[in-house]
Amino acid sequence: MLDVQTLNIHAGQGPLVENVSLDLVEGRLTCLIGPSGCGKSSVIKWLAGVLAPELSVQGSVNIDGAPQTLPHKDIAYQPQQDTLFPWLTITENVSLGLEIRGLNRTTARNRVRDLFPQFGLKGYEDNFPAQLSGGMRQRAAFLRTIIQDARVLLLDEPFSALDAVTRLQMQDWLIARLAERPRAVLMVTHDLYEATQMADRVLVMAGDPGHITADIPISIPRADRTEATLAAIRSTLKSMLLKDTS
Amino acid sequence: MVYLRNAFPGLILMSAFLGGWELYVALTDTSPLILPAPSDILNGLWLERATIARHALATLGVAGFGFSLSVVFARVVSVLLHFSGWLRRGMMPLLVASQTVPIVALAPLMVLWFGFGLLPKVLLVILVTFFPMVVSLMAGYASLPRAFRDQLISMGASRWAVFRRATLPSARSHFFAGLRISATYAIVATIFAEYAGARQGLGIYILSAKNNFRADLVLSAVVVSACLTLAFLTMIHCIERATGRRYRQVSNA
Repeated sequence: MLDVQTLNIHAGQGPLVENVSLDLVEGRLTCLIGPSGCGKSSVIKWLAGVLAPELSVQGSVNIDGAPQTLPHKDIAYQPQQDTLFPWLTITENVSLGLEIRGLNRTTARNRVRDLFPQFGLKGYEDNFPAQLSGGMRQRAAFLRTIIQDARVLLLDEPFSALDAVTRLQMQDWLIARLAERPRAVLMVTHDLYEATQMADRVLVMAGDPGHITADIPISIPRADRTEATLAAIRSTLKSMLLKDTS
Repeated sequence: MVYLRNAFPGLILMSAFLGGWELYVALTDTSPLILPAPSDILNGLWLERATIARHALATLGVAGFGFSLSVVFARVVSVLLHFSGWLRRGMMPLLVASQTVPIVALAPLMVLWFGFGLLPKVLLVILVTFFPMVVSLMAGYASLPRAFRDQLISMGASRWAVFRRATLPSARSHFFAGLRISATYAIVATIFAEYAGARQGLGIYILSAKNNFRADLVLSAVVVSACLTLAFLTMIHCIERATGRRYRQVSNA
């Protein structure tokens, strides 16, 4: 439903991202994986409409075949850091996107509160982010992204701030939430275990300048994904990532 | 209990300083015309309490009014500067230059231009207190994390919406820091303005006490001006506490 054609991003000293084309499909989770600094974040930031203005960009984005401008209301973005505003309660934070889109404050907050139980946040409606654990904050951030009812979700390393156990729990949890409301998801990560566990498709990026080197679909059903079944894909990805960094 | 423990070192040092002063004056038999002892100052303050209170009230009125106007101006100007890069580049050097003008030079001129009324004093208070607030506000606006801004823009927020929902709240602690710095200048600036020419106020009181060789009364007025400044700071502290429950979460994050 969303496709990007020949994206080029130039910084002053040279190209950052070269000839990146990709397409996202509804109900599919695509992982963009690659070493640090290869331009994955630049791609996702451009799609979110928040790329630094001093970078020059050529490329176009279409939704259902029609060219679009960015930022776009059908694209919701979750930055790498947890961006819950510390001075807003969880409810106020989560309803922020709806209020900015012009929804009445009371309606927005009621709609948000209805989803709190499902996101494991019941009872924390009026707490501040600093009073929540890392996992809960991340769930609140997901709720804020998902509730915007955009057809495309951009997640920039959503689990990077979490400890290993919470991380594993949150991966399964996110898959379950996404299954309830199918979206086209583009998730940036540098963790190939995470990518293979969650994705329907993995795009491998390499740096200098950033370009896509491989497009690997993962057709194994999620229930059957184990160390054994994923071993082959993981070793392929691993060798690709290692080759790129050497 | 915590409060007492925080105040304790200050009290000890203050007592030691005043005790030493009193002792020095008593032992050396210094003339009170040159250096009055703390007890003389307190005595003068007590005897002149009605007059000093009247002048202090006048000073407080001018300082309070000028400072309030200054806060409003600072907020408006900081927003304009934030949104207009052109204005920011043009105004900042002027603002810095305004801080290099010595008040002693300006105060008499202000009186010459605008008379003995409220206007020259209020203008002087604004001139002195405005700059620290604008600078703090600008620094506060610049402290907004990039990710917060990105989050709002990706949601389709306009520049104004980003400012209102994220930039302004995140500048709050900077704003209060600037407010505290400015508040300490407000009373002093008013006294300077009154010193240059006024009918009422601690400045004119200090001038006439000095002319009468009453060092004790000059210092009495100084004690009162210090108390007024402390009262200003306490008030700001209370306002910050009372209105900012949600903002204190920031420090725990």
